[in-house]
Amino acid sequence: MRHPEYTWLLPALIPAAVIAPAYAVQYLTVEQAQRALFPEAEAFSPVRLTLTAEQRRAIEQRSRVRVRHPELAAWRAATAERALGWFLLDEVLGKHELITYAVALDHTGAVRGIEILDYRETHGAEVRNSRWRAQFVGKRAGAPLSLDEDIANIAGATLSCQHLAEGVRRLLATYEVALR
Amino acid sequence: MTPAAMRRPPAENECVRARPLLGTLVEIVACGPNAASVVERAFRAVEEVHRLMSYHDPASEVSRINREGALREVAVSPHTWRVLDAARRIAQASDGLFDVTVAPTLAALGFLPRHADFLRASGQGDWRHVELLPGRRVRLARRVRIDVGGIAKGYAVDRAIEELAAPGVSSARVNAGGDLRVYGACPQLLRVRRPASPTELWPLVELRSGAAATSADYFHARRLRGRRVTPLIDPRTRVSCAHGRSVTVLAQECATADALTKVVHADPRRAPGILASFSCHALMLEEAGGLCRVHTFDPSQGEGWRVQWLPGEALLG
Repeated sequence: MRHPEYTWLLPALIPAAVIAPAYAVQYLTVEQAQRALFPEAEAFSPVRLTLTAEQRRAIEQRSRVRVRHPELAAWRAATAERALGWFLLDEVLGKHELITYAVALDHTGAVRGIEILDYRETHGAEVRNSRWRAQFVGKRAGAPLSLDEDIANIAGATLSCQHLAEGVRRLLATYEVALR
Repeated sequence: MTPAAMRRPPAENECVRARPLLGTLVEIVACGPNAASVVERAFRAVEEVHRLMSYHDPASEVSRINREGALREVAVSPHTWRVLDAARRIAQASDGLFDVTVAPTLAALGFLPRHADFLRASGQGDWRHVELLPGRRVRLARRVRIDVGGIAKGYAVDRAIEELAAPGVSSARVNAGGDLRVYGACPQLLRVRRPASPTELWPLVELRSGAAATSADYFHARRLRGRRVTPLIDPRTRVSCAHGRSVTVLAQECATADALTKVVHADPRRAPGILASFSCHALMLEEAGGLCRVHTFDPSQGEGWRVQWLPGEALLG
């Protein structure tokens, strides 16, 4: 049987390494996400619209999800000949994380794909005030570990994707109410 | 520090994508000239596992087994078969410390949905009553209900790696919310969350080949009728375990690592022998009196856990 190969890190590393107070990763820019979800599109025309109070209520009723922001970031994807669908940009806030994601809807309003654009985990004050962390201020021996790693390296990062699922449900209702 | 300061420009030929799947965020990274198309194939492999083995989805093969398995034999795909077979081997080797039939307990605790059309679980029976018959057919010898959530996430990672191990891909990695596997020269620093304070991330392991899976209760625990419950169940008592403990298992395959984290949670004292029989290594963080103890297990270095460090004590001193 083959073994995994690994190294336990030395205890000496721990003070230098302690905690990542926050981290972020950008998977795709808006333009890259548009190309990934609609590779055949020739144009993305932005449609900025502000939902009316009535539309917000209708969306909330259909999706059973609160509409926090009345502004909608949407693009109409098209080739020279025909409309392909909608590219919708949105954000959800979980317990610790802020996720920017895009949903592509085809011309019938069905989900064609979902891509994560940005993932940010920020605990801010909680970590800054930690006494445990305070002990090590000024004690960071050696090269401090960079914080530019992405979520791949945070074991046990199982985060609830419930907010994402709710976000998609809200956007589908938004399509029905405001874009269709 | 602003998030922008931490962004790292992607390496040349590197494709990094994340999508919500398997109830978590699945991140896939590949390096190579055709990385984007290979990453797309890897996501499709994960989606397939999700579709076949979701307990939530009434159309999945797992749901079909739960609806009909006690009445007749149910034919399943090679993927579901491989997962059930691996689950059975781990259940056998651990004498039931890993058991796919804890589903009714998870549903009662609110971690799985209730399906009105599943047969009522009798409350009798365990993994031994999930019979794997020739021709990839499954029969439930008693009215048990199965959930492969404790192993399928790892299997999905393995499937994605199978797709990524393609010509032209120099290195790759897949992370499904803490179930991680690497391919090629792609060493990964694993940061493990402290159970009592999950915003503290400790870089404890550098993984160069194989897989690692971590499970802990810090993001899943909830209150039910005044009790703290978690989705990590001791199959012998059918009661939540894992309080204040985080377990990481290192293995060649992620499915094995994923399932064995549950074995360690259910019985940390018996776990080393079982881990050794699968050539697995492990790391366990345990909160005790405000401190966090780090136990490691390496089968080449003896039979039991070694308390490698007591960082809290050592550093306070």
